[in-house]
Amino acid sequence: MGNARKPVQIIILVLIVLLGGYAIGTSAFGGDGKPEEGSRAPSFELLGLDGKTHKLDEYKGKPIVLNFWGSWCAPCVKEMPALEAQWEKWKAQGVVVVGINVGEDQMTVQNFVNGTGVNFLILMDPEREAVRSYGISPLPTTFFINAKGKIDTIHIGQLDLSTLDAQIGKLVNR
Amino acid sequence: MSGRTPLFVNTKCECGHQNPAATVLCEACGKPLLDNTDSGDPLEMRYDGMARRSQKANPGVVDRVWNFFSSVKIAIYLIVLMLLGSTLGTIFPQESTFLNIDPSTYYKQRYGTAGEIYYRLGLSHTYESWWFITLLVMIGASLVICSLDRVLPLYKALKRQNIRKHRRFLTRQKVVLVRKIAEDSDAWVAGAVQPLKKQGYRVMTDGSALLAEKHRFSRWGPYIIHIGLIIFLLAVLARGLPGLNMDQHLAFPQGDIIHIPDTSYYLENEKFTVEFYKDEEMPEEFRGKKVLPKLYETKAVLYECTADCGDPSKEPKLTKVALHAIQVNDPLSYKGMKAYQFDYDLTPVLRSVTPKLVNSATGESYGSFKLEMKNSQRRFAAGPYTLELKEKYMEFGLNEEGQPISKSPYPNAPAFLFLIKGPNLPPGGEQYFYFPKQNDKAEFQQDAINDKLGGAGRFLELEVGDMSGVDFSESTSYLNLRVDRAMPFVWTGAGIVMLGLVLGFYWQHRRIWLTVDGGELTLGAHTNKNWFGLRREVKAFLEKMNISVDEKSLENGGGQA
Repeated sequence: MGNARKPVQIIILVLIVLLGGYAIGTSAFGGDGKPEEGSRAPSFELLGLDGKTHKLDEYKGKPIVLNFWGSWCAPCVKEMPALEAQWEKWKAQGVVVVGINVGEDQMTVQNFVNGTGVNFLILMDPEREAVRSYGISPLPTTFFINAKGKIDTIHIGQLDLSTLDAQIGKLVNR
Repeated sequence: MSGRTPLFVNTKCECGHQNPAATVLCEACGKPLLDNTDSGDPLEMRYDGMARRSQKANPGVVDRVWNFFSSVKIAIYLIVLMLLGSTLGTIFPQESTFLNIDPSTYYKQRYGTAGEIYYRLGLSHTYESWWFITLLVMIGASLVICSLDRVLPLYKALKRQNIRKHRRFLTRQKVVLVRKIAEDSDAWVAGAVQPLKKQGYRVMTDGSALLAEKHRFSRWGPYIIHIGLIIFLLAVLARGLPGLNMDQHLAFPQGDIIHIPDTSYYLENEKFTVEFYKDEEMPEEFRGKKVLPKLYETKAVLYECTADCGDPSKEPKLTKVALHAIQVNDPLSYKGMKAYQFDYDLTPVLRSVTPKLVNSATGESYGSFKLEMKNSQRRFAAGPYTLELKEKYMEFGLNEEGQPISKSPYPNAPAFLFLIKGPNLPPGGEQYFYFPKQNDKAEFQQDAINDKLGGAGRFLELEVGDMSGVDFSESTSYLNLRVDRAMPFVWTGAGIVMLGLVLGFYWQHRRIWLTVDGGELTLGAHTNKNWFGLRREVKAFLEKMNISVDEKSLENGGGQA
């Protein structure tokens, strides 16, 4: 043991730093619970109205506006035109707007979209799995996710044109 | 925790052995090196007088870090800090004890300003906080380093013990006897072997010197405790790793197969039953006032997804893997996942209706079709008629503009708008509003709406004959799904700790050294605890050797019995 003493000491200390660093790191930067502003956006895999399966990873490197809505929720219905208008305005800059419907079936969602005439991507979350991983309680809730996949801001409640515009502008200029 | 040692000491003992710096007793002959006085004070016998690993002449950076963690004093400070920190977490309930609260408002509402301060300081999740985890990690480091620092020298010292010890080593033990002996020295020592062996000692002799030792394993007790604690700590820290821990509460409406998030499992509540105590079974004060459930049980089937799992555009292929009637404290358990009965809701939820299309004028029935509330079919046929589902509302209502809307995604007041085509109808078809629930029919005036839509000549109605045409999910069972893969390691660690405690508590390491030199017997004995027992054993041995001695007189200097 005599000559091996120093290396063994160093190995043990390094192990402690690694394990301890991991444990402290996950506790300091929220290893669980709701996503917060600044944390990584949870992944999802949901069926779109276009009949295809969509994942969050598809939009890597693009700013995303992720809007959770339901057809029964009046403020959600009211903010749809604003989302559509801002998507039209910003899509040339690579901004992606995604509406995730909460817990309704395809027919309800399709009828609703036909009625409001929005054209951005609509996904369905009938089992509320994305709702769970994003920790959504009131609707509407909108996540502004930057190109790095980090949540920039979380907006709870109805959005208006100017707020939406300012938030997307912030995302694009990051 | 040793006194200051001078920087340069001549560490060579008179017996010729070269000792490392900070050695207390010569590794070979046991001569006290730090105080050369002939005082009779009992010796410091910790780690058999070996230098601890961390005691070096010129410590570097790594050594300094090492020495910090190898100090028992620091370890005690850390433990006290952790205890104080733990108490902070008990002032108000922790966030993790609630299911559905928003901690940012709850603590303020419930406990006022103190609650808000508590939340803002992050004490509402004390045990997950960075500083608490840091303390745990530091205690873990201290456990590992303290143990290594002491156990290796101790192991070496006990492995290669010299039988013949320095006289001063013997006379400065806590149990000492010096007597004149008439017999030949070697013969006396040889005769001492058997009685000691009878007392359970392992005896080694070297001419006129003897060492008897028993229960050395008891010395490893503390280190075994430390190994157990380290495993315990690692298991607790590992609970944060993905896949090792899950704890969620989910609703399972009877008859639905529900996916358990973050797993490949699906669970179906086949039948939920609840039994209540009858009035006569309950104590006086509850009768007529309380409803107490006697039993609730979920007949559950667990499925595992084998193909097409994550893809929402495909139906997952499921295989049955487990069946269990879940009751309180009797969970379904499969490969480390457990499903506990948690709560229930007896509100029935409408799943489907099977209405008949009838001619209200002639009473003729054209047949029936099944209308699901969720993922309804879009087209139905009944006799010569086709029905196309145009709109559906799960909870029918009207918005501010008087437009029909759904007030929630739950089928509390479902309504369906059909376009019916077929004989005797206008070429573009006829619209028909259908409310499956009888009370909704009346409240929203289905007939009046349809008279407006179809005009006076309308003759078609959708009707549900009896309850056989209605499918309810009678109740919803709430289950708590848990995975805790770190738990076996927690128990293992705790078990090892227990083993170490038993080893250290119920056995003592006892050693007796003696030399017979020039007609004089010098005997010294040492134990790590229970000196009383050791003195009694030495006395019994000496009596076998025809030396009568008063037990008290064996004691050398003050000290704990």
